[in-house]
Amino acid sequence: MKKPFSIKIGGPAGKGVKVSGLVLARALSRLGFSTFSYSEYPSLVRGGHNTYQVCFSSEEVFSIIKKIDLLIALNQETIKLHQKELDQSSLILYDPEQIKLPKGKLIGHYLALPFNRLAQEAGGQSIMANMVSLGAILTLSDQPLSTLEEIIEQSFKKKSQQVVQLNQKCAQAGRDFVNKKLAKFKKEIDQPKVKKKKLVLTGNEAAALGGLAGGLQFYSAYPMTPATSILHYLAAKSREIGIVVKHAEDEISAVNMAIGASFAGARVMTATSGGGLCLMAEAIGLAGVSETPLVVINSMRPGPALGMPTWSGQGDLQFSLHISQDEFPRILLAPGDAQETFQLTKSSLQLAEKYQLPVLILLDKYLSESDFSCQPFSSKHFHQRYFLLEKINNEADNFFKRYSLDQQAISPRPLPGQPGGIHCCNSYEHDEFGLATEEGRMRNLMMEKRMAKLALLQEEIPAQPIFGSEKAQIGLISWGSNKGSIRQALTGLKGVKFLHLNWLWPFPKEQVSRFINSVKKAICLEQNQTGQLALLIREQTGLEVENLLKYNGRPFWPNEILEGVKGITRLRKKGRK
Amino acid sequence: MREVNQYDSHLKPTWCPGCGNFGIFTALKEALAQLKIKPHKVAIVTDVGCSGNNADFFKAYTLHALHGRALPPAAGIKLANHQLTVLAIIGDGGCYGEGLTHLINLMRGNHDITVLVHNNHLYSLTTGQYSPTTPKGTVTKSTPDGSIEVPLNPVALGLANQAAFVARGYAFSQEHLKSTLTKAIRHVGFSLVDILQPCVTFDKNQTAAWYQERVFKLKKKFSSRQEAFTEALREDKLGLGIFWQEKRPAYHQELKVLEGKPLIAKPIEKVNLGKLIEEFI
Repeated sequence: MKKPFSIKIGGPAGKGVKVSGLVLARALSRLGFSTFSYSEYPSLVRGGHNTYQVCFSSEEVFSIIKKIDLLIALNQETIKLHQKELDQSSLILYDPEQIKLPKGKLIGHYLALPFNRLAQEAGGQSIMANMVSLGAILTLSDQPLSTLEEIIEQSFKKKSQQVVQLNQKCAQAGRDFVNKKLAKFKKEIDQPKVKKKKLVLTGNEAAALGGLAGGLQFYSAYPMTPATSILHYLAAKSREIGIVVKHAEDEISAVNMAIGASFAGARVMTATSGGGLCLMAEAIGLAGVSETPLVVINSMRPGPALGMPTWSGQGDLQFSLHISQDEFPRILLAPGDAQETFQLTKSSLQLAEKYQLPVLILLDKYLSESDFSCQPFSSKHFHQRYFLLEKINNEADNFFKRYSLDQQAISPRPLPGQPGGIHCCNSYEHDEFGLATEEGRMRNLMMEKRMAKLALLQEEIPAQPIFGSEKAQIGLISWGSNKGSIRQALTGLKGVKFLHLNWLWPFPKEQVSRFINSVKKAICLEQNQTGQLALLIREQTGLEVENLLKYNGRPFWPNEILEGVKGITRLRKKGRK
Repeated sequence: MREVNQYDSHLKPTWCPGCGNFGIFTALKEALAQLKIKPHKVAIVTDVGCSGNNADFFKAYTLHALHGRALPPAAGIKLANHQLTVLAIIGDGGCYGEGLTHLINLMRGNHDITVLVHNNHLYSLTTGQYSPTTPKGTVTKSTPDGSIEVPLNPVALGLANQAAFVARGYAFSQEHLKSTLTKAIRHVGFSLVDILQPCVTFDKNQTAAWYQERVFKLKKKFSSRQEAFTEALREDKLGLGIFWQEKRPAYHQELKVLEGKPLIAKPIEKVNLGKLIEEFI
């Protein structure tokens, strides 16, 4: 497998690093490449050091790689900070009229390209310098400007044809400068064989679309990085698609509003990050005991407390498994990429309604905010409604046994306003009508009714994806967004297979046991300090696995996985001697 | 009276004999009966506390919420189905303490819910600790040397915070309370009804006799929020009735997506995302 070509743009916040990066990714995707893009930024609005990295290849790209082939430095800091990611073949583009090269030994070829001046000479403003650099980047990567020009046209035609032309001229100025003065640095890149339409979107956008595909009607949330862009997307589209989106006064209100709307019959979802999830803890228990459908997305960032807002981590697995006091059934999902995020968020709304329980979805900053390229999602989605009643055979103003013990675990759910369905949706332990009770026998019956859902859910757990050769003797196990980095690493590992878990609860016990028993060595990769999935595996299967852990806020790099896995297996051999 | 009994569940209220909750319970049922709202068309969200136990005694769609959190689910219910009559029953602890932010913010949003605050100036279900409306210096189990805080003034707060409907009731002026509640429920938008009530078990100071000396029925309609505010700040006497009412579109009326049919009446059996997905190519 060929290594992806890796481009990084670095500069201060407010310089359009992210916007131009995304345009580049989309232009490459439209040329037929598979792309993966990742951005890093500190938690501030202006200044600081921001980067956007695009990796692309004619073959599928699963994650970023550490090495940078082409670095675009919008400030001097970018050159200093990324020396370790460069090698002698790397190209570094910088504007000699804006920044000076740092002193001392520098790695790679430093190509002076006056972005600002070229933009002005083309008749544009300095803000269009980014277009000059995009033109230069594509040309150095031996690619045409056709798709970039198309994107410019689509983005700016609302402003005026003149703005379109100026931006296109700037891109052409970048291309012409490279062709004239830097032609010998052009990289040869394998062209994609087929040009298929692909989406370029973040995990959060996939979650928002997945929610809509799942029939989402009511979304309430409070902004918290890295979950916020779900709120932004849904709020922007709410009128067009006819859903209610409410920015609530806090996370407690957001989740309790959602529960109210769900009680009234809407399909609901909320999203937050760790600190917000802490505030939602009690309400998740309310959804559990009152059997009210609820979907909660937790986009993880390193904690505890405020932690590192704009960085990535997987420290909330055990918290999410146990969130809220006492016991109630829940589903815990952990998609690994945009495609899975779309599918599982869609399923989560159906499952929440079908099983009348809270469904938690774990994303993380890396998944939420990276731009994935993937096959277009299907546009048409069909739903059945679960356990709602067309007509109730009861006097209009009589009580209804909403929590009837006659059914197995799940009982029909009348909606407020419906004649004959009166009941109480109760935070307290309750009887079949929902009215509070402290009677021991009824408590046991209701507890058993709720917990019986876990057995029914066994049927829903899909086979978890396994990558690599079945006969491999080393088995990697992981969950969530590590999927991409591990798949990228697998391309350089022989005799290794990988079990990716996107259903964490109810736990796919049998499949995990079979997988661990099929290898000589099982290694669990996670972004937390204690190996929370490994603990869960031990609890559920009694089997031990090795840990490969990282918790500095950065995602796994494929080469770290390569070295880590090799290190662990070498140790094993030594130990045998 | 049959019409009032239609809202009774099969469980009998468990409040202390002589508790003001009985009066509020009856006044509310009478108001609903007068407005001819059928039990199955009413959604009542109750908080936690003595008043919260109304969830068991009412025959209506009820949601017994978490402590301090009765208002957000009530707003959620209304947004999901704005054809329902949505009420929140909550105590002074839940509304003015644990969940004060919800009161302040949902009031500003003018969500169309009627909030009945059972204000007995104490946490009574937990056996009588001081609450946000307890007078300064009151000795309770959690303030053995007398409470230090000055009490919150709910009516003044509502007036200052742009509530479109602010009223005060008294549990033992049942007929008057019924009339206030009827207007509050009929009012489209956020209605705050602060209902004074003695706690017969734990409050030896603010007894029924104490209230009888202070409460009076407001006679005139105030011509401005400022005028109503001045009355609300009075401490020697406690006016009962509507302090302020103004017509303003409710939250759900300002949402374009909720024009016409309620949210839950819009079918989700078929979803087409074609246009949205296209934007990501």
